[in-house]
Amino acid sequence: MSAIAAKAGADAGAFQPVPSIIALVLAIIVIAVGFVLGVGQTLCLIVLGAALIAFGVHFVPVGGAPAAMGQAPGIATGVPMLAAGAGLAGLFGGAWAAELGLAVALAGGAIGGALMMAITCLMVNMSYVFGMGIPPASGKIEKDPLTGYTQPEFKSQGTEGHGLPFISYVGGVIGGLLGGLGGTLIYLELLAFYEAVMPAADAVGLAGILAVAMFLVIAVLAAYNITGTIEGPHDPKFKRFPRAIIAAILASGLCGLLALLLVALV
Amino acid sequence: MQEIIIGIGVTALAGALAAVAGAAEDTESNIGSQGDPNSQVQLAPQMGYTHRIYNKAVSGEPPAYTLWVTLACGVAWAFLMMGMNAILAIVLGTVLATIVQGVYATTAYLGRTASLSKFGQPVFTDVLKSVTTVTMGHAFVAIFTTVVICYLLATVIGHPFSLPLLGIVWGLALGAAGSATGNPYYGKERQYQNQKFGAGVPISASGNIVRYAEAGQRSSIDNGFFTAKFGGPASGLCFGLIVFFELWRTVLFEHYLAGWGAVIAGAVIIIIFMVIDRYVEKWARENYGPYTEA
Repeated sequence: MSAIAAKAGADAGAFQPVPSIIALVLAIIVIAVGFVLGVGQTLCLIVLGAALIAFGVHFVPVGGAPAAMGQAPGIATGVPMLAAGAGLAGLFGGAWAAELGLAVALAGGAIGGALMMAITCLMVNMSYVFGMGIPPASGKIEKDPLTGYTQPEFKSQGTEGHGLPFISYVGGVIGGLLGGLGGTLIYLELLAFYEAVMPAADAVGLAGILAVAMFLVIAVLAAYNITGTIEGPHDPKFKRFPRAIIAAILASGLCGLLALLLVALV
Repeated sequence: MQEIIIGIGVTALAGALAAVAGAAEDTESNIGSQGDPNSQVQLAPQMGYTHRIYNKAVSGEPPAYTLWVTLACGVAWAFLMMGMNAILAIVLGTVLATIVQGVYATTAYLGRTASLSKFGQPVFTDVLKSVTTVTMGHAFVAIFTTVVICYLLATVIGHPFSLPLLGIVWGLALGAAGSATGNPYYGKERQYQNQKFGAGVPISASGNIVRYAEAGQRSSIDNGFFTAKFGGPASGLCFGLIVFFELWRTVLFEHYLAGWGAVIAGAVIIIIFMVIDRYVEKWARENYGPYTEA
């Protein structure tokens, strides 16, 4: 069916059971191959990390080009880039703390991503409020569920809202937290696997570049699911996240398997 | 103890360099019109508003700066491996990355502007000659300072990632911080200076960007002059704070509670920023008031 023939008004973000089941079956096959080749446990943790990233991206309030003109709430840049920026900042912190143990490194990665988003989101609001005299307002909800602030009267005429209401700010921090956590988990699993077969310096480099690559794959997949802009956890588009997680499981299963086979079969 | 003192010194230096990098990055992207607001520069001729604004958005700022910073880091790293002096190696890496940025800017301006010829938008060769070098100058500052941060992290602090990998991480973070903070100021406040202050741009006004200056047509260099007063420093503050606090919490507190000290310090800093944000939102609502009665 062509795009023109598609049913008008169909919800592009609706959960589609058949493709989802096909994706899950394919993912199970890929993971089963991983177990047969003896890399199953590491692969499962990589897939878990990717699922965390895909879920986390949906929390990040991204307004894209309309946000740059104060026409829509969110941060004025692209979904995958912002999520990747936060996730990689988390990966930086997690990799730094890798020698302190899994729990500290994971927490360090999560906090690194959340810190990046907390500062970025604050500066976005500073820019709107003190640079342009515009108060934050959501276009998707009547009332902020966290602060109880009503939104419509603070939305300027002819726009969908602007800035980051507190719920979007918190969403950004949670998104950074999950992104940093997932990215660090992927990195640590790859690192432990590579360190067993190659010098530590090479293992760090290979694990780092593949973790970054996998992060970008998952962030871009999630961005396709979001289609453009999202305000955060209160946005109706947030409900699309199961689809992104399923896609992330399949994509990361395949990417992870290839990343592990790089050294497993050598 | 000595290690911690050196770490604090590097943290302060990296934070300051990051502030310069963020400011230069935002100003470069505004002069070159690279961020999301460039959608309006591209749209304007289609709505009948031809202009002399530069137009080089072949990609968003984060991937662009990832490429340039990683390129500079990679070249610098290769020279360092050959035993070259560190400053010279970083400068040479940055020069090469800046040349690549200039090539991208030139081809992007020519390609994107030529694609608008059917709407009567001319390609101005004098704009190409005068603006490209200005964006390259700002890009040099942004790339050089970020590469120096990466070098300090790899050598003095001892981060496990190699220089090019750190370039990917911090190049992307630089672009993300600069575009998130600086884009609205360039897009809303500068391109739509003809709209009401203190309100978003109505969607119906899309494409009607300001094209004239006090004398003659507006130049992209004037856009950089304008945004350098708020958007640039705000972006610099954003990236500077990110780099500073990421390093500061680890350098000072990693030695406590078997590494959990840095995690707790980070969580406390996040909560402080959340409280500040909450205050900023409250302040804005109380002082600016609603646009209409609900």
